[in-house]
Amino acid sequence: MRHKQKLLFIVLLVISLVIFFVIRQYNKPHIDVFNSTPDIVTNSHVLLDEFQKNESLANSKYLDKIVQINGRISKIEASENNDIIVTLINDISTLGTVICHLSSKENKKLNNLKEGQNVVIKGICTGYLMDVILIRCSLVKI
Amino acid sequence: MKPIFILIILGFIINTTNAQERYITKQGRISFFSHSPVEDIEAFNNQTLSIVDIKTGEIAISVLMKSFMFEKSLMQEHFNENYIESDKFPKALFTGKILDIKNLKNTNDVIIEGVLTIHGVSKNVTVKSQIEVDESNIVIRGVFNVLVSDYQIKIPSVVRNNIAETIEITFSLNHKKFN
Repeated sequence: MRHKQKLLFIVLLVISLVIFFVIRQYNKPHIDVFNSTPDIVTNSHVLLDEFQKNESLANSKYLDKIVQINGRISKIEASENNDIIVTLINDISTLGTVICHLSSKENKKLNNLKEGQNVVIKGICTGYLMDVILIRCSLVKI
Repeated sequence: MKPIFILIILGFIINTTNAQERYITKQGRISFFSHSPVEDIEAFNNQTLSIVDIKTGEIAISVLMKSFMFEKSLMQEHFNENYIESDKFPKALFTGKILDIKNLKNTNDVIIEGVLTIHGVSKNVTVKSQIEVDESNIVIRGVFNVLVSDYQIKIPSVVRNNIAETIEITFSLNHKKFN
């Protein structure tokens, strides 16, 4: 009888552990860009240039990575969700820029941003359309 | 498919003789919604590129799959790695035409016909949308459904009950005059 109880206890323990890990995996948080060290550090020209020269190669290098870049702001806009979108200027060619969609947490820094200013931004690179796109960005240095 | 789309975009840009007819957004919003008895799944993308030529009605839309944001990171991971395979197929594209573009008033119900490419599979689609036109903006909105099976997206049987067979796609594209 005692033996059976022990067995039942172990089975229940295993089941609850499995449930615990499944739920934890299901609720796994998104990457915290703020507190993560960047995978790649570069500047906006190099990033754009690599995508323009060979998009699939750049995709395999940058996609889903936390990329930290420095560059000069050419445009500051608000998204329809009222988050900040910063476009980094490209001095080399007129077509194409790096567009950084800042995380909502950065909204209060809007007043510190000016066009023409040099900034360091890190975010997750999601690819290249006409421009290279970084999302969930945070401002490293204003 | 990709070089064709780049050609279309370049065609749009280089042919600047009537650039005043072209409208662009780089912050278009696309979301999709899957309802199932087990869970609802929704994802948002606010980085959609869309270019429309108001004279001919031609429209080209391009969206990065990795830019879709989910409530749960596990959903996002499964979407990118297992279902949409965004390393292999990083973009979804639509090229088409707004029908009856000549007779636009301020707000209109229009039909957009074209080819939608998701997961490397191209299908003809016809989408009803609303289009609002004023001097500097063209806003196109609409909702349509796609069948997961149409785009050869394989859903493992374990999670078949979690993901709807028909996905509802909502879009809102606020184009500004291109200059």
